[in-house]
Amino acid sequence: MTQASIDLDHVTAVYGRGARRQPAVRDVSLAVQPGEIFGLLGPNGAGKSTLLACVEGLHQPESGTVRVGGFDVQRQPAAAKRLLGIQLQKTALLDDLTVGELVEVYAALYEVYLTPAQTGEFLARFDLSEHRRKLARRLSGGQQQRLALALAVTNDPQIVLLDEPTSALDPHARRSVWDNIRRMHDEHRTIVLTTHAMEEAEALCGRVAIIDQGRIVACDTPAQLVAGLKANPVLKATIELPLEQARSLPGVQAARYAGLHLELETAEPQLTLTALHSLAGQMGRSINDVRLRQPNLEDVFLKLTGRTLLEGPSLN
Amino acid sequence: MQRFLIFTKAMLLIHLRAREVLFWNFAFPVFLMLIYGVIMSGFMQWLTPGVIVLNALSFGLVSSAAVLVDMREKGILRRLRATPLPAVQLLGAYLIVNLLLGLTQGVLILLVGVVVYGMPLSLAGLVLGLPMIVAGALTFLALGQVVSGLAPKAGVATAAGMTLYFGLMFISDMIFPIAQLPAWLQSVVPYFPSYAVVQLVRAPLLDGVLAANWPFNLALMAAYALAATLIASRLFRWDPKA
Repeated sequence: MTQASIDLDHVTAVYGRGARRQPAVRDVSLAVQPGEIFGLLGPNGAGKSTLLACVEGLHQPESGTVRVGGFDVQRQPAAAKRLLGIQLQKTALLDDLTVGELVEVYAALYEVYLTPAQTGEFLARFDLSEHRRKLARRLSGGQQQRLALALAVTNDPQIVLLDEPTSALDPHARRSVWDNIRRMHDEHRTIVLTTHAMEEAEALCGRVAIIDQGRIVACDTPAQLVAGLKANPVLKATIELPLEQARSLPGVQAARYAGLHLELETAEPQLTLTALHSLAGQMGRSINDVRLRQPNLEDVFLKLTGRTLLEGPSLN
Repeated sequence: MQRFLIFTKAMLLIHLRAREVLFWNFAFPVFLMLIYGVIMSGFMQWLTPGVIVLNALSFGLVSSAAVLVDMREKGILRRLRATPLPAVQLLGAYLIVNLLLGLTQGVLILLVGVVVYGMPLSLAGLVLGLPMIVAGALTFLALGQVVSGLAPKAGVATAAGMTLYFGLMFISDMIFPIAQLPAWLQSVVPYFPSYAVVQLVRAPLLDGVLAANWPFNLALMAAYALAATLIASRLFRWDPKA
């Protein structure tokens, strides 16, 4: 049996003491295997960042053990940190250094010493060559994020931890970060990332743990998580139709109106759509704007917690 | 060792590239010397060692402490803590860079004193005086870390440091002779760290010898430095206060 890259055993982490004691992570056990892209999905405040901080050695768990490549993070922090490449939610760059200097300094912190030629190659991989002599503070937000991502792998780590790598980025910058993460995966690194965007988890992650109020409520591949819902696709169409007639269409399990849109939950979208077309033809009505929506991780989160990913933690 | 040198160089670059740091560290002390020269022209030889210590005081209590607080607030200390860089090396690099800057300022002010105001300076004075300037700067640096360790934010640290600085400025025999102060104050002032440092620095620079009561002043300064270092290391935080 191969050794897990990251192994959490009954980890509980809290902030504050006494009356102000607030648990952020509650009894989490989890193993991330080598070569995975593993996602921690949950709303803001769910405990994702604290969980990562426990792995990074930045937060001491109240109980439980965290191992990185077999090293206990609390007992052998130096050995554990050496295996990790990290990017924190706040990019926190030494912004009076140039891009090239930052790469060399961060590599040196891990006792990896780059020649100028190696630094050049490294920057080219992250599409930062033209900014080599620019101060980090002069970069755009997207460029800073890309640099933070680059700095996470200057030490050629086996395991990369990324905390909200694409939050607050425009779609274009987000794509570019995704490409870089996929390349890290191709380089056989283990990647753990946090996100509150279900499309990011679906696009990147082989496995996803859904976190709510400090607990892991589900953990599986995105496809299995969605399949576990046993939910039907929803066919949406803009058409005026009596609901009883809509319900009697083949395959339809439930029908409702959301504004002008007729929403049909159907086990047989193809059949339902064909029947809907002919019915509309017979009645002389037109169908506009037909869409088929497959169930996704957002629905999984809603089903498990009763809330959406954007709502944040409930106050109970 | 290579790691430590690269990181120390990075810390030095950060300090040298911040315009306001450059101004306060190098332009302001010279400006101060020239201003004092205009208003107190007859006293500049007596005043020069005082300005050196005064400058070390503002450097330790205000400007150098602010850089570390700023790094903490931006999350840079947290980011560095996640790397295998030992804390000793991080603080060591910070200390070396600040000592280097503090010493450069002292030499700059001394140079103005000698060149512009004709201060006589002997080799013995330089050999005895420079180590005292360095030791004094280190003491103030440690005191500055106590202040920034107690302060919840960078702004508060600067305000508290400034208040202490201006408080000590006029009563420590630096730019204002202690003989002019009320009697009760004169009996308290010799226990202040700033007073001890001025006495340790002034006699060598002016007369090339240590002042008669140097063992007491040296012990007092060392006690302040030690106590401040111990307290500062207890107060040291990687993360901003939540």
